Amino acid sequence: MALLEIRKARREFVTPEGGRFAALDGIDLDIGAHEFVTLLGPSGCGKTTLLRSISGFETLDGGAILLDGADLSTLPPFRRPVNTVFQSYALFSHMSVARNVGYALEVRGEDRASRERAVAEALEKVGLTGMGTRKPSQLSGGQRQRVALARAIIGKPRLLLLDEPLSALDRNLRQQMQIELKTLQNTLGIAFIFVTHDQEEALTMSDRIVVMRAGLIEQIGTPRQIYRHPKNRFVAEFIGETNLFALTIDRIESGQALARTVEGLELLLPAGTAKAGDKAVAVLRPADFTLADQGIAATVTKAVYLGADLHLFVQPAVGGPEIRVTARDSALAPKEGTKVHLAYDPAASHVLEAA
Amino acid sequence: MAIRRQTLVLATLLTPVTLFLGVFFLLPLLIIALFSFLTPGLYGGVEWAFYHWNYGRIFGWADDIIEVYEPIYLQILARSLGFAALTVLLCLLLCYPVAFWVSRLPNRWRMLFLFLITLPFFSSLIVRLYAWLLILKPSGILNTVLIGVGAISEPLEILYTPAAVVLGMVYVMVPFMFLPLYSAVDNLDRALIEASMDLGATRLQTFLKVVLPQTLPGILGGAVIVFIPSVGNFIVPDVLGGAKGLMIGNLVEQQFLSARNWPFGSALSMIVMAVVLAVLLGSTAAAKRKGGQNA
Amino acid sequence: MRNPIGWAALTLFSLVFFLFIYAPLLVIIGYSFNSNPVNMMIWEHFTFDWYRGLLGLGSRAADANNRAAYIESTDQMLRALRTSLTVAVVTTTISTLIGTATAIALARYRFAAKGFYNGFLMLPMMMPDIVLGIGLLIFFVTIGMNLSMLTIIIGHCTFLISYVFIIVQARIAGLDPALEEASADLGASEWVTLHKVLLPQLAPGILGGALLAFVISMDDLVITYFVAGTDNTTLPVFIFGMVRRGVKPEINAIATMMIAASIVIAALGLWLRARKTE
Repeated sequence: MALLEIRKARREFVTPEGGRFAALDGIDLDIGAHEFVTLLGPSGCGKTTLLRSISGFETLDGGAILLDGADLSTLPPFRRPVNTVFQSYALFSHMSVARNVGYALEVRGEDRASRERAVAEALEKVGLTGMGTRKPSQLSGGQRQRVALARAIIGKPRLLLLDEPLSALDRNLRQQMQIELKTLQNTLGIAFIFVTHDQEEALTMSDRIVVMRAGLIEQIGTPRQIYRHPKNRFVAEFIGETNLFALTIDRIESGQALARTVEGLELLLPAGTAKAGDKAVAVLRPADFTLADQGIAATVTKAVYLGADLHLFVQPAVGGPEIRVTARDSALAPKEGTKVHLAYDPAASHVLEAA
Repeated sequence: MAIRRQTLVLATLLTPVTLFLGVFFLLPLLIIALFSFLTPGLYGGVEWAFYHWNYGRIFGWADDIIEVYEPIYLQILARSLGFAALTVLLCLLLCYPVAFWVSRLPNRWRMLFLFLITLPFFSSLIVRLYAWLLILKPSGILNTVLIGVGAISEPLEILYTPAAVVLGMVYVMVPFMFLPLYSAVDNLDRALIEASMDLGATRLQTFLKVVLPQTLPGILGGAVIVFIPSVGNFIVPDVLGGAKGLMIGNLVEQQFLSARNWPFGSALSMIVMAVVLAVLLGSTAAAKRKGGQNA
Repeated sequence: MRNPIGWAALTLFSLVFFLFIYAPLLVIIGYSFNSNPVNMMIWEHFTFDWYRGLLGLGSRAADANNRAAYIESTDQMLRALRTSLTVAVVTTTISTLIGTATAIALARYRFAAKGFYNGFLMLPMMMPDIVLGIGLLIFFVTIGMNLSMLTIIIGHCTFLISYVFIIVQARIAGLDPALEEASADLGASEWVTLHKVLLPQLAPGILGGALLAFVISMDDLVITYFVAGTDNTTLPVFIFGMVRRGVKPEINAIATMMIAASIVIAALGLWLRARKTE
C-alpha cells in the first residue's frame, strides 16, 4: 500500500471577479514510503495547493487524502505526521538556530536533554554543527535553508513537503543542495514531495515527476519517461528544450514511418501503430541531432555560445520553423551562415500520444 | 567651496528649529527644574531662595512646621501610575484581537475599518470625553437603559469613580494603541504561523511562542505611547473622576491655577517628567537589546 | 484552516469594539436634536433649535431671558472658534516651515549632531502636555510676556514642529537620492535642487504634516489651557469650561458640528493620501 493516497482531490477558489476556478480539479496520486516525488508545473497549476492540502493549510472541497490508509482531512495541521520546508524558510527570527530546529520537540514537551541531543544530530545532518547559538538573521541564505530543513526533519515525519525551497538560492548553491537533498532523503528513508517550477531541479532529484497544469495531472513518470516520452505537447515543451514537428505519415516501411511536414521536410519515425495518412506530432530534443555530411540540409542562423556547448538555431532549406540543435563547441564549430546537414537516430524520436 | 556652501545651507535649515526649541522647549523645562527648588511666595509667586521642602513634602522629609509631609502625594502618584498601567493593559486587551481581525479582512473592508479607527484622531478629545459624561451620569443613558430593562432599580454610581477615569482614558487612548499593534500584526509573516502549526504546535502554543514574541515590538511601542500621556493626564480625571479619581496631573494643575504654589507644582511635574524619561529610556534600551539580537 | 467559530467570536468582539468607539459620538448627535431645555437627558421631541440658536437664527424654545443667554454664549463660542482657527492657521504655517527644513537637513546632510537632533525632536511629542504647559506658563510669566494669542501659538509650535518633522522625514526616506544627484549633476546649485526637485517631491508629505498639525492645534486643550490667559479662549478650552460648569443643551449641537467637521477633515486627509499614491 502506498504511504500517501490522494483520491479525486478537488479545491476551488473564488476569483476576485466572482467566478470559480479549480486549483485542484480531481487529482489522483499515490506516493510510496521512500519515494522522492516532484510536483512540477507553471505557477497557478495547483502544485502548491496540493502540497498545502497535504500539510493541512488548505481544506479540500472534494476527495480525500489518506496517509497509511487513514483519512487526514479531520486532522488540523499540527496533528499531521507531515512537515514542511517553506519557500521563505519561515524561520522564527526571535529564536536561536537551535531553538528553531528543536521547536517541534519543544511543543511536544520533550525534555531539554533529549532535545539538545536531537538538535545537535539534526544540525550535523545538514552540515551546520556548532551554529546552534546564532540567530537566523546572522546566517546566509544557504544556511537558513539548511536550518529550515533540519527543523522540518527533527520530528521524524513520515513525509517531508518542500515548497520550492531552492528558488532563493543562486545557481551553484542550488545544484549542490539538489544533490544533498537527494542524499538526505536516502539516509532518512522517508518520502519527499518537492514542489518546483524548475524542470532541471525536477529531473535531477526525482524518482517520479508529476507534471501538472490547471489543476490536472498531465503526466506521471520517471524523469527519463517524462523527458523522452512526453505524453503531449504541453509536457514536451515544459520539460527541456524541444523541437516539435507536425507531420503527415507518408508510408510505413520495415517498422519505420516516413513522414513529412507541410513544407516538405522528411523525417523517419518509429512506426508504432501509425498508418499512412495519419497526422502525428514528433519530438526531437536539440541533442538528438548531430552535424553530419548528409541529412537535412539547413543553414545556421544563430549560434549561442554556452561554454562546453553551442546552441544552434538552424533553418531547414525546405522552409518551416527553425530547428534547435545542441553541438559541442570546437574550433571547427559552425558559425552563423554556415551550411550544415542534420542527422538523427530515428529511434530517439518520439511521437506524442495526443497533440 | 562646495563644502562651505553645504555648511551654509545646513546652518540655514537648522537654525530655526534650534532656536525655537532651545528657547521655548528646553528653557521652560529647565525653569521647571529651577522653580522646584525655590521658595513659594506668600501670595503666589516665588522668592529666589533655595528650598528643598517642595520635595520634602512629597517624599517625607518635611520639617512639620512650615511644610507638612502628606503621604497622599505619593499615594496619588502611585494611583496615577496604576491607572496608566491599567489603561495600557485594557487598551492592549481590546486592540490586539481587533488588530488581528482587521488585518485578516478583505482589502476593501480593511480600509474601511482602518479609516474608522483613525477618525477619532481627528475629532475633539473633549467632545469624546463629554459623551461619556452623558452616558455615565446617574440620569444618563446607561442607567436609563439598565433601569428600563429592569437590570437595576437604583442608578449605578459610576461617574466620579476611578472606574470612570480608567474607562475615559482607555476610550481616548485606544487609537494610539491600535495603530502600532496593527502594523506589527499586519507585518507578521503568516508563513511563521503555518510553520509553527506544521511543526506540531497547537493554536495556543503558536500564539505564545511565535505570534506574541514576533509582535512584541508593536506591543511595547503602543504601551509607551499610551502610558506616557496617561500618567500626566488631568483632563480625564477632571471631567469624569471624583476625589478618588484624582491624579498627579490634577495636583499640578491645582498648584498652578488655584493654590498658586508654583514651586510645589514644579516639584510635582518634575516627578511626572522623571517617570516619563525613565519609561522612554527603559523602552529604548529594551528595543535596542532586541534589535541587537536580531542584527 | 481558519476556525469558523473562533473567527465569528473575533468578528463579534471587533464589532462591539467599534460600537464602543462610536456609540458615545452617536449619543451626542442624538441629544443635539432633543428639544427638552430643562433636562436634556429626557427625550421630548425632535428639534433644530440648538443649532438655530448657535447660528444666531433665534430659537422658538427660548424665551426673552434665555435668548440673551444664548446669544452671549453663541458670541463666546464664535469668538473661541475664530481664535482656534487663527491659532491653527498660524501654527500650521510656522511648524510646517520649520519642521520641513529640519527634516531636509537631517535627511540630506551628514554632521556630528545628527543623532542628537533625531532624538531631541522626539522629546516634545513624548513630553506630557501638562509639563510643557506649566513650563511655558512659568517661562512666559518669568520673562514678563503677557499671555495672549501669541503665547498659544508658540506653545502649539513647540510640539507640532516635531509632528511635521516625523511625517516629512518619512516621505524623504521613501525618495530616491539619485534624483537630487541627477539635478546636481546637471548643474543645479543646492538651492535650485532644493526648490525644483526636492520640495515638489516632498509636497504630499508636507501637506500631510500640515494637515496633522492643523488638526492637533485645533484640538489642543492642555497647553492652551495654561498659556491662553483670560482673554483668549480656543474652542476646546471653551467646551472644557462648559463641561466643567455644567452641561447646557447647546453643547450637544456644538459637539455634533465638531464631529461633522472632523469627519470632513479626515475624509480630506484620506483623499489626499489616495491622490498621493496614484
